[in-house]
This record gives sequence, structure tokens and C-alpha cells, in this order.
Amino acid sequence: MADENVPVQAPPSAPSGPSGPGGGPRPQGRAGGPAKRGKRSFVRKKKVCRFCVDKADFIDYKKAEILAPFIQERGKILPRRMTGTCARHQRWLTVAIKRAQNIALLPFAAEL
Amino acid sequence: MEERQYDLIFICRPDTPEADVDKVIATLEHAAAEKGGKIEAVNKWGRRRMAYRVQKLREGYYVYLVVKSSHGEVVKELERRLKVSDAVMKYLTVRLDEELKRQEKLKRHRERRAARRPRKAATATPAPTPGSGEQAAAQA
Repeated sequence: MADENVPVQAPPSAPSGPSGPGGGPRPQGRAGGPAKRGKRSFVRKKKVCRFCVDKADFIDYKKAEILAPFIQERGKILPRRMTGTCARHQRWLTVAIKRAQNIALLPFAAEL
Repeated sequence: MEERQYDLIFICRPDTPEADVDKVIATLEHAAAEKGGKIEAVNKWGRRRMAYRVQKLREGYYVYLVVKSSHGEVVKELERRLKVSDAVMKYLTVRLDEELKRQEKLKRHRERRAARRPRKAATATPAPTPGSGEQAAAQA
């Protein structure tokens, strides 16, 4: 955060103050650093919420085939970090899955 | 009180004859009407495999009803009848009107936003090129 703030403050001070020409180049160099570091360390494919892509306003508990990808083999609900579902849709999704379980559309636990 | 909407699903034993299923539906319709409610839709999903065994059975005959009523007595009565009925193995009532209302609201909200967005794009065209380029890419 601190590194990002420096270049923002620098441009207005540069024309007015005598230290402008000296201080100018340094913040610019610093601003480039963290961005590069970030790109190098995090090369990860971003998961997108499937329901946001479909612009879902409602997750129907009756459609078991939609809910099925979000449960594990054993019947557990998959966490958000696995599926990339957004917080709001995960909230709706868990309710839908639990309803579907109650009417035997989805398993509570896999049978052996 | 405003009218509420419920989903009512029940599962009959798979060996129930079709006539008995119809009889159950008829009694429910009658009971709902008596209590001042209304069954809006009846949808027989038919026999389908259940996700787990219920009463040692793997299959069940699913029936899906949409019930509208303005007080909870109707649901109470319907559930009582389902519990009494021998053919019915399992049932579930879900109140849906509030969720449908939320869905409507979100839909309206998005439509309004979608209607506003093209105007914003039109005003932005004289302004910086990278912004309009992005919008053109999004449209394409």
C-alpha cells in the first residue's frame, strides 16, 4: 500500500518543490517493482463463478444436475476455494443443495 | 396478508398405481380449497431413482405441486394428509415467494443497468480511446 501511495503523491509536488526533479525518478522505479514481482509469483488461472457467468438470480434446488458438480463423491458440498463460486452464489447454492438432499435428489452421503 | 407461494414435492412408493397417485393429488386439491388455498400447478415427474434409500426402496414416484395460499394453515393440512397417506414416502414443502421476489428484483435491477450502459458508452466515445476500444471489444 505504501509503495503505491508514493507515486500518486509525487506528481503534484514535482512542479512546485525544488526537490521535484531529484525525487521524481525514484518513486517511478519503485512503482514498477511490486507490479513485476506480483506478476512473477502469481501465475494462476482465475476461477470464475459459474452462476455469475450465467447471470443466475436464483438457484433451483429441483435441478439436481446443476447442483451435482458442486458436491464431492461422498456427498459433501465443495468449498468456494475449490469451485470458484462467488460468496453470494455459494450461499444460495448451499441452501439449494440442502433442499435437494431432503427430497432425495442429492445424497447426504454416498452409499457403499 | 399477502399470498405466499410454496413448492410441495412428495414421493410415492414406486409400486403405487397411477390411479392412487391421482387420488392423493385430488385429496390435496380438495384440502387446499377447503382451507382457502389453491394448487396452481401439478407436475408428475414420474418414477425416478432417489439419491439414497428411503424405506429400503431405491426408486420413487415424484409429484411436484405449486401451492398458493395466504396463511400457513393450508400447508399444515396438506402435510398432515401426506403423513397419513400410506402411498407417500417422503414430502418437502418449501416457501418460495420471497426468493422469487428477490429474483424479480435482481432481474429488474440488471435490466435497468443494461439499459443505462449503452448511453454511458455513447457519451464516452469522444473521451479517451482505450475506454471505447474496450467497449468495442466487449460488444464484439
